[in-house]
Amino acid sequence: MAIVTPGKRPGERIERSRVFGKKFARSKKHGYASLMLTSLVDMFTIIVIFLLMNFSANGEVLYMSKDIKLPNAYHGAQLERAPVISVSPDAVTYDGRQVAATDDLQKGDLLNVPELEDALREERRRYETIHANDPDHPFRGLVNVQADRKIPFKVIKRVMFACNQSGFGNINFAALAKTPEAAARKVAMK
Amino acid sequence: MAGSAPQPHTKGGKKPLDAEINLVPFIDLLSCCISFLLITAVWTQIAGLQISSSGGPPDPQQKQEQTIDVKLLLTEKGYQLAMAGGTVEIPKIKGADGTPGFDRKTLADKLKTLKASLPEQSAITVQPEDAVAYDDLVNTVDTCLGEQLRNVTVAPLN
Repeated sequence: MAIVTPGKRPGERIERSRVFGKKFARSKKHGYASLMLTSLVDMFTIIVIFLLMNFSANGEVLYMSKDIKLPNAYHGAQLERAPVISVSPDAVTYDGRQVAATDDLQKGDLLNVPELEDALREERRRYETIHANDPDHPFRGLVNVQADRKIPFKVIKRVMFACNQSGFGNINFAALAKTPEAAARKVAMK
Repeated sequence: MAGSAPQPHTKGGKKPLDAEINLVPFIDLLSCCISFLLITAVWTQIAGLQISSSGGPPDPQQKQEQTIDVKLLLTEKGYQLAMAGGTVEIPKIKGADGTPGFDRKTLADKLKTLKASLPEQSAITVQPEDAVAYDDLVNTVDTCLGEQLRNVTVAPLN
């Protein structure tokens, strides 16, 4: 059987009929439809401009976790790349690896966190080995701490103590960057 | 063809005056740009509040300035701003949700007054109690930084 174009195919008799034949008569429509691309290009251009405005060359510095809700800060500086200590309601992690349970840090009067200190000392040793012949990059003891809003200072204190013991004295508290204009808007909304 | 403008046929076999721009490569380029930017986009802007903890190594760039020792205590009652001249109590106030919270506005005013009287002052020690939440600590440090007290040290109260 011959290959035919898909579509309605009436019987031979109906096709020849003067009354019904017109219904199935095929018009000579052009096969190609022209698309209006101007609006598409406009939309693409707007999206590219918007994304370029939001582009950040630094990339992700922190591991964002569902468990950690960061507080807001209006006068923070840009976060530098450094080892990250995350404190969630469940666990204290160093660069994504759990080093202690948060509940354990809330108990007792001891300040030290041995596993965290070991990890930080190892990090320091690694940095100093890599930059041994590089005077332009001395060890600055920079560390980023991100914690959930409700974490008590008792836990933060122990994390800070571990950082100090390992030579990481420059601590950056992570927060969500907000602009003062946003704060003013929020007050006005209230 | 995509993007082609209507071409009026001129008499006498002359070339049409309307130029034809090929939009397909342009669309391809834009699509690639959008894909790349969407994949590499950072949607949450993270800020860092730099503090030094007590007992840490001293900052080599820190100059010896003619300043006073200012301590800001965060207790369950509220702020306590202690400096050479005396101590200022800033009690907690009720927030929008009815729970008592730290009065950061009053603190900002007090720090502004301090900064006006001692323009060289840039150091402050924040001392929270164990029960103080990270949110309150960060907001307090943020308030200090906002009032140009750039050298914030965080130390435990007890």
